[in-house]
Amino acid sequence: MSGIFAINGGACVAMVGKDCVAIACDLRLGLQALTVSNNFPKIFQYGDVFLGLTGLATDVSTVSDLFRYKVNMYRLREERDIAPRTFANLVSSTLYEKRFGPYFVGPVVAGLEPKTGEPFICGFDSIGCIDFAKDFIVSGTATDQLFGMCESLWEPNLGPEDLFETISQALLNAVDRDALSGWGAHIYIIEKDKVTKRLLKGRQD
Amino acid sequence: MEVLLGITGKDFTLIAASKAAMRGATILKASDDKTRQLNKHTLMAFSGEAGDTVQFAEYIQANAQLYSMRNETDLSPSALANFVRGELAHSLRSRKPYNVNLLLGGVDPITHKPSLYWLDYLAALAPLPYAAHGYAQYYCLSILDKHHHPDITLGQGIKLLTLCTDELKRRLPVDFKGMTVKAVTKDGIVDIEFDDDKVVKSA
Amino acid sequence: MDTLVAQYSRPAYQQNNALAEEEQQDLLDGVPGASNLSLKFAMPPVAHPSAWLRAVSDDRSNPSCPIKIAHGTTTLAFRFQGGIIVATDSRATAGNWIASQTVKKVIEINSDLLGTMAGGAADCQYWLAWLGMQCRLHELRHKRRISVAAASKILANLVYQYKGMGLSMGTMCAGVTKEEGPALYYIDSDGTRLAGNLFCVGSGQTFAYGVLDAEYRYDLTTEEALELGSRSILAATHRDAYSGGFINLYHVKESGWEKHGFSDTNPIFWKTKLEKGEFSNVTSSFSERV
Repeated sequence: MSGIFAINGGACVAMVGKDCVAIACDLRLGLQALTVSNNFPKIFQYGDVFLGLTGLATDVSTVSDLFRYKVNMYRLREERDIAPRTFANLVSSTLYEKRFGPYFVGPVVAGLEPKTGEPFICGFDSIGCIDFAKDFIVSGTATDQLFGMCESLWEPNLGPEDLFETISQALLNAVDRDALSGWGAHIYIIEKDKVTKRLLKGRQD
Repeated sequence: MEVLLGITGKDFTLIAASKAAMRGATILKASDDKTRQLNKHTLMAFSGEAGDTVQFAEYIQANAQLYSMRNETDLSPSALANFVRGELAHSLRSRKPYNVNLLLGGVDPITHKPSLYWLDYLAALAPLPYAAHGYAQYYCLSILDKHHHPDITLGQGIKLLTLCTDELKRRLPVDFKGMTVKAVTKDGIVDIEFDDDKVVKSA
Repeated sequence: MDTLVAQYSRPAYQQNNALAEEEQQDLLDGVPGASNLSLKFAMPPVAHPSAWLRAVSDDRSNPSCPIKIAHGTTTLAFRFQGGIIVATDSRATAGNWIASQTVKKVIEINSDLLGTMAGGAADCQYWLAWLGMQCRLHELRHKRRISVAAASKILANLVYQYKGMGLSMGTMCAGVTKEEGPALYYIDSDGTRLAGNLFCVGSGQTFAYGVLDAEYRYDLTTEEALELGSRSILAATHRDAYSGGFINLYHVKESGWEKHGFSDTNPIFWKTKLEKGEFSNVTSSFSERV
């Protein structure tokens, strides 16, 4: 990614485990080379669904606020929480509405299917093409590094503890090779009836 | 070469802005005030394109005041920051976007917690303990990283500000004509006497 | 005659096989110095080599350029009563990719002189090594050590010869001699050469200046000076995305330079934050965004 997507920097990754999923992001908000904030999380929770957003910081905020509104409206109308797969389609069509003037974001969705408890992750391009994956999704300025880390560390059917270790190592080591992301990380491990949030202290350079 | 600085402390938020109004190679005015009061506990400093800055700031000021009159209560600094971000983000994708960078400082009227929000012209919003805009970011953030603590007093905050402006006087190629300094406390906004005449010698 | 014409009418990129002959020629010429060394570079077979080089390698104006030269640095050096402190980070970046975290940006020209590296890594390494050679030749010819002023001027004159050809370097030469005392010079590829008390060079220079200027005095003790140099680099690595890795710290005295470690910034950062309460912007607890 380059240009508009790389102004503020940032990285996000989601992974599938056995009856669990994990999603993680870095905390940097920059202006090109300058690091402005070290506390700019890029993961947003909507009921049981998690959305990671990398790219232009203004659009990260705009899009996360927009989906908070849309998911709340959905909950009021349907009287239930939105399912990850439904949310993914909402993200896709919302992004495509801006086909000719897109939001400069790289979204990642993670969650468990409410009925089956089956793990669900997917990623998108900035105009809403869904990338369904059975293993992992990466996004942001450190995608090349994240793909490398995930391809080598990830394996099928990891339990929650192992998945946490895997996603943490994948993210931390990827952002350590990217100038525009890092400065700490947030990790979410999502299980059937438990969500564990963790703050990781990363390198601060 | 406009300078905006913001520092939070134990029970206050300091906002400082350079006094020079520059157009090309000319300083039009050496006592410009690049801040607007949004309500009793919130102050906004702005820099950016001539015209856009004051227009946008006064539009925000008017709406903040309208809210206070209609509801007989003030918006909190965080609510205002998110309102400003929304307006700026909306303008960003319009035919003629506002080119304005902002610092929004305040003290929460209920919890009395000081806060500071950094917004750039793209409407990226970040809550920070201390912040700057323009070239001041490059010189002052490292100083503040070293010398800032969350529980400093107003006196220590002003000393910290002097440390920053000294460095700017030393290294910036143009004179920014000193700073207007204001402090937001739980009792409202007060002007701070700030010594602009100090001569700084280079190493 | 025909062979001579053939040799010089070949395009530059095919001239590699003629290198042996050229090298012999150089040895025969005998006179060492800038003039014959500086003509040994193969030029690309295009009309305007410097414009072509800029087009393919300047990633600032053209982020998708095919050749990305390692950039991004924080280096500093300052004079004080006990000599000169030289400190650098160790990160090399090509675009946003961190190519290395263990670059030695302090170049030991000889046992008395140090050079720092900012800008093109290869340019700095090559020409400071070359400067070391020139300094040694000066010693052999004149039976005494070269002054820092003279050494820095040799480098400044050399890079000035290449002005506009795409050399990219911002360097500092530091040394202590009997005649000069602690001497510090800034030289860059524009041809600027300045003597001074305190310089910071590179993408993180402003951050280092901020911390350094606030507490710099000429009468700093050696311990204070080393700590200030190291802390200034730490400040820059934290705020500048293109600086980081390790802090490389040197102290130059009249007896020569002394190395004071090549230390990872990570443990130093957390020690500084936790023990001194600095870097209050870095969160150590989980918090939701506002």
